Order: sequence, then structure tokens, then C-alpha cells
Amino acid sequence: MKITINVNGKTHVVKIESAEMLLDTLRRLGYKSVHRSCDSASCSSCTVLLDGNPVLSCCVFSATADGRFVETVEGLGSGEELHPIQKAFLEEGASQCGYCIPSLIMTTKALLAVEPDPTESEIREMLVGNICRCTGYEAQTRAVKKASRYLRGDEE
Amino acid sequence: MTFKLMIPNTEGELQQELMDDEARILAGGTDLMVQMRSGKVAPTRVVSIKKLERLKEISDLGERIRIGAAVTYSELQRSHILQEKSPILLKAIRQIGSLQIRNRGTAVGNIANASPAGDAVLAMVLSEARVEIMGPKGERHESIESFIIGPGRTTLSTGEYIRAVVIEKTDDWQSLFIKVGQRNAMCISVASIGVLRKGKEVRLAFGSVAPVVVRAHKAERFFTREGIDGTKLGEFVERCVESISPIDDVRASSWYRRQVVRGELMKIFGHPDVGGTDVT
Repeated sequence: MKITINVNGKTHVVKIESAEMLLDTLRRLGYKSVHRSCDSASCSSCTVLLDGNPVLSCCVFSATADGRFVETVEGLGSGEELHPIQKAFLEEGASQCGYCIPSLIMTTKALLAVEPDPTESEIREMLVGNICRCTGYEAQTRAVKKASRYLRGDEE
Repeated sequence: MTFKLMIPNTEGELQQELMDDEARILAGGTDLMVQMRSGKVAPTRVVSIKKLERLKEISDLGERIRIGAAVTYSELQRSHILQEKSPILLKAIRQIGSLQIRNRGTAVGNIANASPAGDAVLAMVLSEARVEIMGPKGERHESIESFIIGPGRTTLSTGEYIRAVVIEKTDDWQSLFIKVGQRNAMCISVASIGVLRKGKEVRLAFGSVAPVVVRAHKAERFFTREGIDGTKLGEFVERCVESISPIDDVRASSWYRRQVVRGELMKIFGHPDVGGTDVT
């Protein structure tokens, strides 16, 4: 079967297997920031935004994403300039091995879209599913806070 | 995994698809996909209900609220009716998985999955939920307590599907939901406890401590009849513990689970101001 999905503003018409997962389709299309890790809805490394909401692409059938909007970390920034969330993560040293970072950044983007000024406990609650085995989440929590200030224009 | 994904556009088409014995309904996929990958289930047909708009409705029925089968946890969290009228369900949902899981998973899926650890199921048991089932012989309704008959088992027969669940509004009850797990994030509970209280009336349910989520009906009647002053508190707690039958598994031992339930109940009801005015 064929589906049409819009990824980061670009429309793809793509042939898929009936039982194909969005994770596989996206990686096949070259969106390699979408990481496979647990493949069982536990780690959130495969998080993408589907119509603005973070979902686990390992558990979403591509067929059900037909006609919808997908965002991945490749869509952030301009290629030259980092997106404010990326910038904040970099500056706060929020990434070690980096494997979970694309999913954390996309979850952060969705969080800050609904809550531009989250408290620390709100940040921790929102990121609870994004499992990172390197850090203690301290730097990431700070990075989200800093990103929120960048996006609100409170800090240059 | 070899199976065919079907995405019916109408409930009529859905019913056709479900005539196949090997078909399984997919709502959010947060349980089904995991079970399929681990080889626990191997349906030949997976039927998505994502295109059935009528199953996405939340409706106010006066004393009750009807929640369609495709309504996600996140949609419930955003619903004003639920926010105002079912604090217990929202408290339970907050404890479920993660944002990503809540964006896909559904309350009705939690019922269909019939896990004894179902957090939303526990809140719905307390809300005296009725399950609306559609099938080849027409519509039928069943209380959630009789619908779920064992771990992963319900009274659904071939061709039947859950169309919605109808819960009681419980905004005039004090409510409490406690989940004890091995960690805070993404955990399946070792034991969970839900309490609704209105004066001398109380409703209690326990998760992960029996083959299904259980209501402690006997203990509830004791509470109303005898109260929990003085020595009555210990008696009441023991009646609660009698209603559970925990097992040893990877998450905790049976003994520990009993102790957790006992300990939490003493904390909740042993409050100096006669039986837990901290139940809010």
C-alpha cells in the first residue's frame, strides 16, 4: 500500500508493508535521528511528533499515519543555526552518548508548546518516559528550563 | 510478525473484520504491539479503530460519563467533564506510563487488556463502570467487575468488541490513588490502591494483588456498618487484606504485597482525625 506523510514540512509518498512501523518507514526515508532501542514501548528513543504530539514510532503503524504530519529532530534548526532547544541542550552538557537526545528534544518541543514556562516538577513529569542511561537527568532538566527561556525570549 | 493490518472506515466494516477468530483490535497499540513482538500473541489480522470517529467521543450522560473505545488517556486528561467529574480516573491516568504512552493508549484498551495491574481499570472499577459491548447479536452491557474474568481474559466472544465504557461521576467523593512500584518512571505496579470516600460510605479497589483488579466489597460494608474507631481499624484493614490474593512474581513477593497493602491502608485510614481526612 501507499501512504502520504509529511515529515518536517516535506511530503513523501511512500510504499509500505501493511504491518510496517512508522519507525522503520522514517528510517528508510533517511530520518536516522529516530532511534530504535527497546522496540517495546518502554524507552521512548523512537519518539517523534505526530500532529504535534509525542508518540512512540515503534508502536505506530505507518498506515495509520497516512495524511498526517510528522516532526523529527532533522526538522529543527536551519542546518547552520541550532534550534534554541538544541542550543540549550548543548550549552548545559545535557548529552553524553546522545542516543536518547533526539527523542528528548522532540518531547521537550511538545512540552514547551503547551507549557512555555514549566516548573522543574512539570519537566520531570513530562520527560519521565524518556529513558537516559548516561545522565542523572539533572543537566537535561536544566537544559529544558534554559530552552524555555530562549523560546520565550527571556534570554539571548 | 506476519499479519495484515486492516483499517475499517465504519463500525459495519469493523464487525466484518472481527468475524475472523484470529483478528485482534488495535487502539493505541501500547500493549498489543509489545505482546506481539514478544511472541505472546500472534494474530493474523490486526484491526485498527483509529478511523472510527464515533468511537472518539466523550459524552456527558448526566449522572454518568461515556468514553468511546478510541479515546486516548491524553484526551481524557484534557477533557473538562473528566477534570470536573472524575478526579479518581485522572489521578490514575497520571500514573500511567509516560506522555508518549498516554498519547496513544486508551482507557478501553486498558479494560480489553485485562491486566490486574491496570491503573485506569482500577479507577473505573471504583466508578462502577459498565462496559458497552457490540457484537453479531447486538449490543450488551456488563459491569467491569464481571467483564474482566482473569489476567488478559474478558467475557468478549468472537466478533464482539468494546464500543465504550460508561463510568459514574464521582466528584462528590474524596478520592485517592496510590501506586507502589519499584521506581517512579514507566513502572508496572507492585500494588495499587484506590479509595473513594463519602462520609460513612467507602469504595476500595486493589491492583496487582489478585488475578484481576478487586473491589473490597466486604470491607466496604464493614466500614459503613462498624466504622474504624479504635480496634475496628485493624479489623477493617484485615478484611481488606482478605479480599486480595497476591502472587510471587518478578516484581515482588506475595508477602511483600500484603504488607504494602496493609501499610498503605493504615497510613490512609489511621489518620488521627478518624479515618483519613487526608483522603482528598
